[in-house]
Amino acid sequence: MKAYFTRHAQVFMRTLGEFARSPAPTLMTVILIGLTLALPTGLYVGLLNLQRLSQGWQPHGSLSVYLKKGGADSAAVVAIRRIPGVATARYISPVQGLREFKTASGLGGMGLFGRHNPLPGVVIVAPTRPGPRSVALLATQLKTLPGVAHVQSNLVWVERLDAALALGRRLVTILATLLGLALVLILANTTRATVASRSAEISVVRLVGGTNAFIRRPFLYIGALTGGLGALCALLVLEIGLIALEGPVAALNRAYGAHYRLTGLGLEQALGLLVLGASLGWLGARIAVARALRQSEG
Amino acid sequence: MIELKHVFKRYPLGTEALSDVGFTLAKGEMAFLTGPSGAGKSTILKLICLLERPTRGQITVNGHELGRLPARRLPYFRREIGVVFQDNRLLNERTIFDNVALPLVVAGMTGDEVRKRVLAALDKVGLRGRERGFPLALSGGEQQRVGIARALVHRPPLLIADEPTGNLDAALSDDIIDLFREFNDHGVTVLIATHDLRQIERLKKRVIRLGAGHMLGAA
Ligand SMILES: Nc1ncnc2c1ncn2[C@@H]1O[C@H](COP(=O)(O)OP(=O)(O)OP(=O)(O)O)[C@@H](O)[C@H]1O
Ligand SMILES: [Mg+2]
Repeated sequence: MKAYFTRHAQVFMRTLGEFARSPAPTLMTVILIGLTLALPTGLYVGLLNLQRLSQGWQPHGSLSVYLKKGGADSAAVVAIRRIPGVATARYISPVQGLREFKTASGLGGMGLFGRHNPLPGVVIVAPTRPGPRSVALLATQLKTLPGVAHVQSNLVWVERLDAALALGRRLVTILATLLGLALVLILANTTRATVASRSAEISVVRLVGGTNAFIRRPFLYIGALTGGLGALCALLVLEIGLIALEGPVAALNRAYGAHYRLTGLGLEQALGLLVLGASLGWLGARIAVARALRQSEG
Repeated sequence: MIELKHVFKRYPLGTEALSDVGFTLAKGEMAFLTGPSGAGKSTILKLICLLERPTRGQITVNGHELGRLPARRLPYFRREIGVVFQDNRLLNERTIFDNVALPLVVAGMTGDEVRKRVLAALDKVGLRGRERGFPLALSGGEQQRVGIARALVHRPPLLIADEPTGNLDAALSDDIIDLFREFNDHGVTVLIATHDLRQIERLKKRVIRLGAGHMLGAA
C-alpha cells in the first residue's frame, strides 16, 4: 500500500516536472479550458444572483385584498386576520391610499379627484407559507369573505419569474453539458498529441515490460492537472468579472437606495468546479490514451 | 530456454524473412546468431521478444509458448528478457540513471533498491559516476553500454542482443562481448546476433548460422 502511494507520488512529481518544462502549449490549454468553464459558471452565478434578488423583492408572494366600497372595512380586516394562512394583514385606508398614490405619482397638487376619493380600502396580506400553491389557496379563501371585492396576488409575476429562472437553469445545464463535452474533447486532443510525440518513449517502456496502466498513468495525471488548473482559471475569470461588476452594482444601489451585493460561488461550489475540471480532464486523457494504446498495440 | 520449431515469417510487404527455422538454446547457454545482412537475424530476435509474430511455427521462451501468451501477460513476459538493440533505443531526454532504472520502475520497484541496482549495473559496464548525464553526451560505445546496463538491471534469466558491437572498435567490442560472457558465466542465457567474426572466433561459443532465412546448420 505504501509502495503504491510512493509510486504514485513519484509519477506525480515527474508529471509536475514535465508540466513545468513545456509550459507554453499547456498554458494555452489551461486558459482555453478556463474560458470554456467560465461561461456556464458565470451564467450560473448570474442566475443565482437573480434568484436571490427576486427573493428579496418578493419574500412571501404577498396578496393585495381590495375591500368593497362603502362596506365596514374594520370587520373585513378582522375576518381576514382570522384566516389561518394569514401571517400579517396591513390595512391601508382609502385616505391613506390616495395620499400614497399622490406622492408616488407626483400628481398630488393637481386636485385631480376633487373631493371624491375613488379608492377602496386595501389589505396587504402576507401568507404564513410562501410558495405558489399555498398562496393561490389563500387567495381563493380570501375571495369568499363577505367584505372582499377582489384579491390580487403578485403570484403571477412570481410565477413568471420562476418560469424564467427555470428556463435559465435549463439553459445553463445544457450549456454546461456541451462545454463539459468540449473540455473532454480538448483534453483528448492535446493528450493525443502528447502521446504521439512520445511514441518512441512508449515503445521503449513497452519493451522493458511496462503495462498499459503504467504508460497511461502520467497522461492521466497531466489531463487531470490541466483540467483542474483550467477550472482554477475559470474561477479567476469569474472573480475578475464580479470585481468588474462591483462598480455598476454600487451605482444601481445608490440610484435605488438598495444595498444589494453580488455573490460569487461558495467554497463548496468552487471546490466542486475544481474536482469537475480535474475529472473531465482525466476522462479526456483516458479516452485519448486508450485509443492511442490500442492502435500501437505491439 | 529458447526453442524455435519450423518458424516461418513473411512480412506484410511480401518478403519471406524466415522459412523453416528451428533451433534450441538451453538454459545457461550462450550462442551467436550469424549470417549475412538480410539473413533474418533481427527478425528472429524480434520474434523472441514478441515485437513480431511468426507467420507459422512455434516459439517457446522461458517456458512460455508465445502463440498462446495472452496480451495482458506480455509485459510480465518481457520483464524476463533483457534486450540490447543495435540502435540502443535510449531515451535522450532522460538521464542515464533514469534510462537504466526504467525496467525496475515499470515493475513497480521504488526508492533505495532502484538506486542500488542501477548504480551496480552502471558499475558493471564501467559507467559508474555518469548516471546524472544524458545519453547524447556519451560516445557510441558508452551508449551501447548504457543499453546493456538497462537490459541487465532487472537480472533477467535471458539476454538477447542485436549487433551489440555494430559500430564499435575492436577493443571496445572485446570489452562488451566479455561482459556478456561474464553474465553467461553467472548463469544468464545469452543470444547475440552479430556478423563480427572476430568475436565468434575469439569466444569459441556455439554459432547458429542463417542464410537468406534458412538454417545453415547449428554448430
Ligand atoms: N518490418 C519489415 N517489413 C518488411 N520486411 C522486413 C522488415 N524487417 C525486415 N524485413 C526483411 O526481412 C529480411 C530479414 O531482415 P532482418 O532484419 O531480420 O535481417 P538481418 O539478418 O538482421 O540483417 P542485418 O544484418 O542487415 O541486420 C530482409 O530481407 C528485410 O528486408
Ligand atoms: Mg539486423
